[in-house]
Amino acid sequence: MNSIEPFNRLVRLAARAFYDDVSMKGDNQPKTSRGDNRGMAVVVLDALTRRQWVREEDLAKALKLHSKQLRRILRFFEEEKLVTRDHRKESAKNAKAHNAAAAAANDGQPVAKEGEEKVKMHTHSYCCLDYAQICDVVRYRIHRMKKKLKDELDSRNTIQHYICPSCNKRYSAFDALQLVSYTDEYFHCETCNGELVAESDKLASEEMGDGDDNVRKRRREKLKDMQQRIEEQLKPLVAQLDRVKNLPAPEFGSLQTWERANIGAFAIGDPAAADSSRNSQGQYGTPMPFIGETKVEVVIDGVKEEGAESGKNGSELKVLPPWMIKDGMNLTKEQRGEKIEPQKLEISEAKDDKKQDSKDDQSVQEEYIKAYYEALRKKQEEEEAKRRMQQEGKISVPDSQTERQVGKKYKRDDDDEGIEWEEHQPTGNATETYKLADLNAEAQESGDEEDDNEWEEG
Amino acid sequence: MFFHIVLERNMQLHPRHFGPHLRDKLVSKLIKDVEGTCSGRHGFVVAITGVEDIGKGLIREGTGYVTFPVKYQCVVFRPFKGEILEAVVTMVNKMGFFAEAGPVQIFVSNHLIPDDMEFQSGDVPNYTTSDGSVKIQKESEVRLKIIGTRVDATEIFCIGTIKDDFLGVISDPGAAV
Ligand SMILES: [Zn+2]
Repeated sequence: MNSIEPFNRLVRLAARAFYDDVSMKGDNQPKTSRGDNRGMAVVVLDALTRRQWVREEDLAKALKLHSKQLRRILRFFEEEKLVTRDHRKESAKNAKAHNAAAAAANDGQPVAKEGEEKVKMHTHSYCCLDYAQICDVVRYRIHRMKKKLKDELDSRNTIQHYICPSCNKRYSAFDALQLVSYTDEYFHCETCNGELVAESDKLASEEMGDGDDNVRKRRREKLKDMQQRIEEQLKPLVAQLDRVKNLPAPEFGSLQTWERANIGAFAIGDPAAADSSRNSQGQYGTPMPFIGETKVEVVIDGVKEEGAESGKNGSELKVLPPWMIKDGMNLTKEQRGEKIEPQKLEISEAKDDKKQDSKDDQSVQEEYIKAYYEALRKKQEEEEAKRRMQQEGKISVPDSQTERQVGKKYKRDDDDEGIEWEEHQPTGNATETYKLADLNAEAQESGDEEDDNEWEEG
Repeated sequence: MFFHIVLERNMQLHPRHFGPHLRDKLVSKLIKDVEGTCSGRHGFVVAITGVEDIGKGLIREGTGYVTFPVKYQCVVFRPFKGEILEAVVTMVNKMGFFAEAGPVQIFVSNHLIPDDMEFQSGDVPNYTTSDGSVKIQKESEVRLKIIGTRVDATEIFCIGTIKDDFLGVISDPGAAV
């Protein structure tokens, strides 16, 4: 269950460490406080951690950004190798297919709007985080930062200078050929034939008084200070990198495979497949893509579990206005049930000391969950029908089956997803009965879909 | 780094070569004049691989020499900062060592030699690790990284380092014997 959250945390940390002062400016835009969009990059990365493949227009709409602005940011991240993008010409039908996949993956995106039916052939861009590459990129970036400082401190890659102690003439290593003496092992001054001394030696012997040396000494201190600050400030990020090192990075595949896999998993109606596909994506974040925004800040300085918890609370505690429920509606019900539970379980299991603090929160939270759940339930039938209609339209090819199975196996092997799932389920059933009903509802639902599928094929 | 580029040069030819083999004469003179030279911009001309175009000759007043603009393809070698090169050590002293990569001379000063290597003077001055497993002396082959180049009109001189991952001796003449 937890396969993606560590990676999302990594992304969020990296975003804040490296991209929070990235300013995406059009060349013609004057620098005003209004035009100052630093921090936008972080917001976009955060939003992407709560999604899989997403159409860029939809993302722009969700973030209330101009699509051009968003595209500029995404292009930047593409160059930074954090984001994979895909572009394709598509008709309204294709677009709907993507929405179906997104819905199936519980991406939290609104399903195709009526307006999109009119769209003819348009080039749409999609984007998605490339988690595997992000790990590499972040690790490499940190490595380069540290190496650069270290090299400078060791005065590596610097051209050695030599000085003649008797006439104070300075030479650089480029003059080496002319300075070589064939009588001894040293360099000799061209004018007075004195034995040259390497300048760094001079510095080492504290022979100050030279303004040049002072500058260098200060520079050295500055570098040391910078080195220290890097260690300190990047500590959480480095720790997260270590944590993530041996986990398999979430892999969504290309846009096509992802769409097929997600539609496929649900169309076939194999509950396990549905689980695995769902597990491979965002946790609590996904069902409530818009509400969850604020939790991020908390996650950053807090312990991981704590962050997740408070984040959840935050979103849960917000009384959900009806329009918001609609927004995040697609299939959220089951997810809500299975997702919130495991996390709670984890908290109590993993963090004994945190347990006390979070207990009160939990009970409050449970109440809200219940309330939320009821609200969601009302929408259930209506939504189910809507979704089934969509899927009937585009039941996938046999390919998708293999696609999905590969994904499933992978998850099982590497993540112990199955085991974890089994652990969670009983708790959910035992503590809250509605969860049980919820799970059943899901099973039935997918069963129906299977029937539909077979019926159509037969 | 090697590049295959097209260069142009005005060749002056003595009137005595004017005849059926004028072109051959021009090309052989070009090769003789250009190969092995160094230009600050393009680096060392390693070899001429072809003549693209020989323009119209212009007779110079008074001398009778004719100037031909010649376009030729050639392989040039131009070292860059940051480039990794393999080079042969030519001289070792207390200040560091010199090495050659083809026509390029490279100096590696002692502070760019790993700290665990110490200078040993003697008949064959060398830098050796404390356990004696790695030794740099004359004729050693080293892999180094260029950290600075000084390009003159006729010469390129480089500063290198072996103080980095995967740099250093790649074949040791002492060990081979
Ligand atoms: Zn002197």
